[in-house]
Amino acid sequence: MSSGPELVSVTVDDRQVAVPKGTGLVETALAAGIEIPVFCYEPRLGPPVGACRMCLVEIEGMPKLQAGCTLTVTEGMVISTSATSAKAAEGQEATLEFILVNHPLDCPVCDKGGECPLQDLTFRYGPGNTRMSFAKITVDKPIPVSPLIALDRERCILCYRCTRFSEDVAEDGLLIARNRGAHTEIATFADEPYRSPFSGNVVELCPVGALTSTLYRFDARPWEIQNVPTVCTGCAVGCNTSATIREGKVERILSRNHPEVDRGWLCDKGRYSYPHLCAEDRITTPLRRGPKGLAEITWDEALDEAETMLRGSAGSIVTAFSGSETTEIAYALGRLLRAGLDAHSAVLPESTSDVLEAFRLPLSGLAEAEIVVVVGDDPVVERAPIVDLWIKEARRRGAEVVVCSPTGSVPTAPGAGAKTCRELASSRGGLGTKLRSSERAVLIWSGPGGGGGARIAELAHELGFESKPGCGAFHLAAAANPRGVALGWAVAADADETNPEPIELLVVSGDEAASNPDVRALAEQASRVIVLTMFHELAGGWADLILPSTGALERDGTSMNLEGRVQRLRRAVPPPCPDELAWISKLASRFAVDLPPHFPGVFAELATELFRDLALDDLGPHAPLPTRQAYVAPEPATTPAPPEEAEALRLHRYRPLFSGPAVERVPELGFQRPLRDVELSPADAATRGISNGDAVVVRSNGTSATLHARVNKRLIQGVVRIADEHAGDLHPAVDVVKA
Amino acid sequence: MTVTAEIQKLRKRYPDALSAVMPALQLAQADNGGWLSPDAIREVADALDLTPAYCLSIASFYDQYYLEPVGRRRIEVCTNVSCGLAGAQQVLEAFERELGISAGTTAEDGAYTLGTIECLGGCGWATVVAIDNRHRLRVQAHDVPGIVEELRGA
Amino acid sequence: MPEYPQIVFAGTDGGAVLDLDAYIESGGFSALRKARAMPPDDVIAELDASGLRGRGGAFFPTGRKWSFVPKPDQLAKPHYLVVNADESEPGSFKDREIMLRVPFRFLEGCLIAAHGIQSQHVFVYIRGEYEREFEILRDSLAAMHKADLLGGVTVVIHRGAGAYICGEETALLESLEGKRGLPRTKPPFPAIAGLYAAPTAVNNVESITTVTPVLEMGGAEYAKLGVENSTGTRVFSLSGDVVSPGNYELPHGISLRELIYDIGGGVPNGRSLKAVIPGGSSTSVLTADDIDTAMDFTSLVEAGSSIGSAGVIVIDDRCCMVQLGIRVSQFYEHESCGKCTPCRVGTKWVTQILQKIEVGRASQADLDVLLSVCDRILGKCLCPLGDSDAIAVLSYVDRFRDEYRAHIDLGRCPFDGESSLEGIVAPSAIHEHHGHETVRA
Ligand SMILES: Cc1cc2nc3c(=O)[nH]c(=O)nc-3n(C[C@H](O)[C@H](O)[C@H](O)COP(=O)(O)O)c2cc1C
Ligand code: SF4
Ligand code: FES
Repeated sequence: MSSGPELVSVTVDDRQVAVPKGTGLVETALAAGIEIPVFCYEPRLGPPVGACRMCLVEIEGMPKLQAGCTLTVTEGMVISTSATSAKAAEGQEATLEFILVNHPLDCPVCDKGGECPLQDLTFRYGPGNTRMSFAKITVDKPIPVSPLIALDRERCILCYRCTRFSEDVAEDGLLIARNRGAHTEIATFADEPYRSPFSGNVVELCPVGALTSTLYRFDARPWEIQNVPTVCTGCAVGCNTSATIREGKVERILSRNHPEVDRGWLCDKGRYSYPHLCAEDRITTPLRRGPKGLAEITWDEALDEAETMLRGSAGSIVTAFSGSETTEIAYALGRLLRAGLDAHSAVLPESTSDVLEAFRLPLSGLAEAEIVVVVGDDPVVERAPIVDLWIKEARRRGAEVVVCSPTGSVPTAPGAGAKTCRELASSRGGLGTKLRSSERAVLIWSGPGGGGGARIAELAHELGFESKPGCGAFHLAAAANPRGVALGWAVAADADETNPEPIELLVVSGDEAASNPDVRALAEQASRVIVLTMFHELAGGWADLILPSTGALERDGTSMNLEGRVQRLRRAVPPPCPDELAWISKLASRFAVDLPPHFPGVFAELATELFRDLALDDLGPHAPLPTRQAYVAPEPATTPAPPEEAEALRLHRYRPLFSGPAVERVPELGFQRPLRDVELSPADAATRGISNGDAVVVRSNGTSATLHARVNKRLIQGVVRIADEHAGDLHPAVDVVKA
Repeated sequence: MTVTAEIQKLRKRYPDALSAVMPALQLAQADNGGWLSPDAIREVADALDLTPAYCLSIASFYDQYYLEPVGRRRIEVCTNVSCGLAGAQQVLEAFERELGISAGTTAEDGAYTLGTIECLGGCGWATVVAIDNRHRLRVQAHDVPGIVEELRGA
Repeated sequence: MPEYPQIVFAGTDGGAVLDLDAYIESGGFSALRKARAMPPDDVIAELDASGLRGRGGAFFPTGRKWSFVPKPDQLAKPHYLVVNADESEPGSFKDREIMLRVPFRFLEGCLIAAHGIQSQHVFVYIRGEYEREFEILRDSLAAMHKADLLGGVTVVIHRGAGAYICGEETALLESLEGKRGLPRTKPPFPAIAGLYAAPTAVNNVESITTVTPVLEMGGAEYAKLGVENSTGTRVFSLSGDVVSPGNYELPHGISLRELIYDIGGGVPNGRSLKAVIPGGSSTSVLTADDIDTAMDFTSLVEAGSSIGSAGVIVIDDRCCMVQLGIRVSQFYEHESCGKCTPCRVGTKWVTQILQKIEVGRASQADLDVLLSVCDRILGKCLCPLGDSDAIAVLSYVDRFRDEYRAHIDLGRCPFDGESSLEGIVAPSAIHEHHGHETVRA
């Protein structure tokens, strides 16, 4: 191969390596099979800072020891690490001695014990005993920097990883270093918690036990635990995770760096909502509504009951999905209900348009982008948090980021996204031209409507993105696997949708569906309802039959993320109830549908139908991205009715990241949930004499809600924004007055 | 003019508004009786579109931002080498006697804060004493009663 | 006492020139006119010819530094001149007097330098403790603005807020950008990626002020002053146990004896000279035996020290060298930025060991640990601040080992409470924790 990057040859200790010009010294040594110890160095946090001095090496021609992490190699460089240079070894021992001067050697009681870089390096390079005969700096014992994270300043070695993450990756500017010199310490402002959707990452970044999860108070030793690789179903990104298991319980969720998807970052929803598996109202045995309300029944009784209900309602059954089911569960239900009962009617969550397959790009492509255009009503971080981090990185690397939304750089009224796309498509100046000429541009639809990305796909087509491998388009769906669910349901049988009136039986699959107001409305119409749910609270009041369901961490299956990547969920812990695939196949057999009772079998069937004979092993630990497909023009947009131009303000409600049945069951996540705020533009606030923090009443004919006003400099005039859970049943046209 | 308004003017002085954070904190401190309360820091943060936490990380790095209340008059005696050789410690002790407070503390009535300070760049005119950041040169222990007299008078 | 040529302080005869017209009367701004008539590279050539080297401490050739700044056509970013007026090195107080007495010569130098590196933007970073100096610069600048002398160049005076580390050029740039004053790793050097990652020259106040006479008299003429390798004059700051402390502009190469005795009037009260810190607290101490050392770059290196910022601290026989070590180390401990481990932890540790020695509770083993801790700081830090502490303390122990031993053998300080630095209270000893408390839930 001729057109590779220019190589330079370098000597590390006694070994020769050739690496691309500009490769970091630490990476170069690694390529030569030599590990240079580091604490502060973490390339994902931006440029090296050279703070901890653990990586000292000797370099021919340089009188002083050098911090290896801060250098890139040049042709002919001769590097000696502690392995061959006494000077470097002395330097490293010096650094370790200094680090340990103030570090309590409390490893036996430290959460990090056994998996602590400092512990390991001390063991390998460290001084046997400390010569420090003075009182160590002692500070107050662990303090919470938030309900999720505890900080033990005695253990902190000031590598500034956590503060660099906060400032340079999440860009939240909330976790800081304060004071100077030996008084330097990690802190938040005043008494405010570290309230960032990404806060948990600092716990993983901390190379010592200074930052720990309050949820992971853990006395066990690493050999007692087991890490199961799976994927998160908190949103449509599908971050790769590994679940730490001990005695059949999930103890914590860690990132499992998929360089194309998540780069090893997780949001707090994905990291900290696992305790919902042990929620108090978790259901483990089926429940049937009798004269005295819901009563527990056996699974055999439950399946008999379900069979009777299904037979009794044949022809007028509707199924409502959550969109977080595995593709296999959706397919299995499809086989049961469609093949078995001709019940083809389903309520599917807002899905992602197939057309986007023509513009596929790994999410990591965002980092290389020179222009990123986001269209849609919802903030990216609320729909797909990790995408927000990718966009921030693109901006740091110099990309122009244009956001057309109610709070964006181009203020855009809610619902106007499709119009924006049309305008961009026809625009021959400014942004339009830039997009056309760019080889590295990315379009993102973040919000409801837009044909699940179809509008953005049309735009991408207009701009000729098919032929540009560096350009791509994404739709940020609201659920984790809406497309997999839709496809699984679709291929289960081929017959057209029929809309039964009236509905005899409503089958509700999953907790999001069970907590969805529209589905509840359907349930009102239906004469009988079967609900598959994890939690009593969600369906207790209205279901006739409740079948306990499993959580994502208890499932084997696949899920298709917003890139169209098919990723594998692995069962981390056994469910407290039968697995869906098992009982669905039993039930199906009673309707002469045969269906494998376990994941590999179902997947095999699906794969031939859906994934062009993809084999399980093809998914691997890090699933690949399928190739692009040819562009097929989508269904044209149904022009929405123009919003009534009233005196009133337009209510824009959005679903916050920290919401939903799982999050609601983790008290520690409470502080992350949206405040009882109504956001107003400065102008609208001013005309109503409202200022930040005022108690206000939001009214729309008949209904009202009392909230706190938050004046948002970036919010477009004429619009107020409220998180779904606080908007109650307000209508789209509202007004706001001081309480 | 309000602090916020003045800060807006400061922004324009620099190619990047972030550079205005130090002068902005100085303004806010002067406006808040010589120290930066959490609210004073919040005001600076708002004016510069920064987080209060970021502003705290800056304010707490530099010695001339005060994060606790200080006396109405601030007396700082340089005790670095040259001043030390010239008798800075005697000068400091004289102030402690005259003011009845020890170095590093503020008088109960909030009238004075007495402290020591690193080299003020006046080694040739030792001992240097900074009073509200104005330097008195060649101060000797026997000058102190007069100085305190003067401060009380003023 | 012979008359020495006054270059930096020319035309002041002991006073100050704060009036613009008076300055112009005496030929002010002729150098600027001359420079602006020259292509920038010729200005740099004059500097090269003058042999002028940085007065801030690193003694780097000023002309060469400017030549590293890419030409605008090579790097189409704004170029910056940043003047270091953070003067905080203990023993150094020359930049202050320059700003007090010849502000216009200094500002003229800024404009010449800006022309030399083809910059339209000058920032003067002045330490927050310099209130009067700030006012004088501000007013002088206003006068120049009124007289339309700036020629389109913007000069911004940025006030520090009390942090010695911000004298280090990259920390200064961070601070100027509105960040914590933490030194950057080099490369890249400021000349390539300095302020706002753009090409930047950072120069000391005295260096910049000297640029004006260099252009006036011509580099070759200036180079005739002083000695080989250390051309020109230097404003020496003389302080400590000397009859007439103060700033003296003298040619490089003058002997320490001349400086202390002929000019400084010697050690007062019949005391005897014990030690001299020749270039600010960061430099190795000299003893009375080194009294004939010439005050220039090479001679001081040969004497095992360095010229640093030419802040000469004279120390007589009343001073305990362990107490000196403590006080100097306390300074570096207090001023350490806290970014890198050896400096943040080491400087504090050094102070602690010295204090143990001073009170007579130390053994030979502690002295060995002290030396080894200094070695472990030396050359391992991100910037030279930590080194400074180690260099200074190592030199005290090396030159006055008997006195250190005496503390150990006697089990007390041999000065019996009579040392001139006895009981001196450093800020680090009463340093309060900054910051509002973190959430306790
Ligand atoms: C810890 C430390 C403190 C410094 N303090 C100052 C200072 O106060 N003033 C100064 O001009 N240079 C200071 N320097 C030197 C500067 O880093 C830089 O070399 C100098 O300003 C360059 O200007 P010059 O070449 O004209 O000397 C300091 C260096 C270090 C490492
Ligand atoms: S808390 Fe951990 S990550 Fe943060 S600076 Fe300290 S050691 Fe580094
Ligand atoms: S030692 Fe006091 S001003 Fe320098």
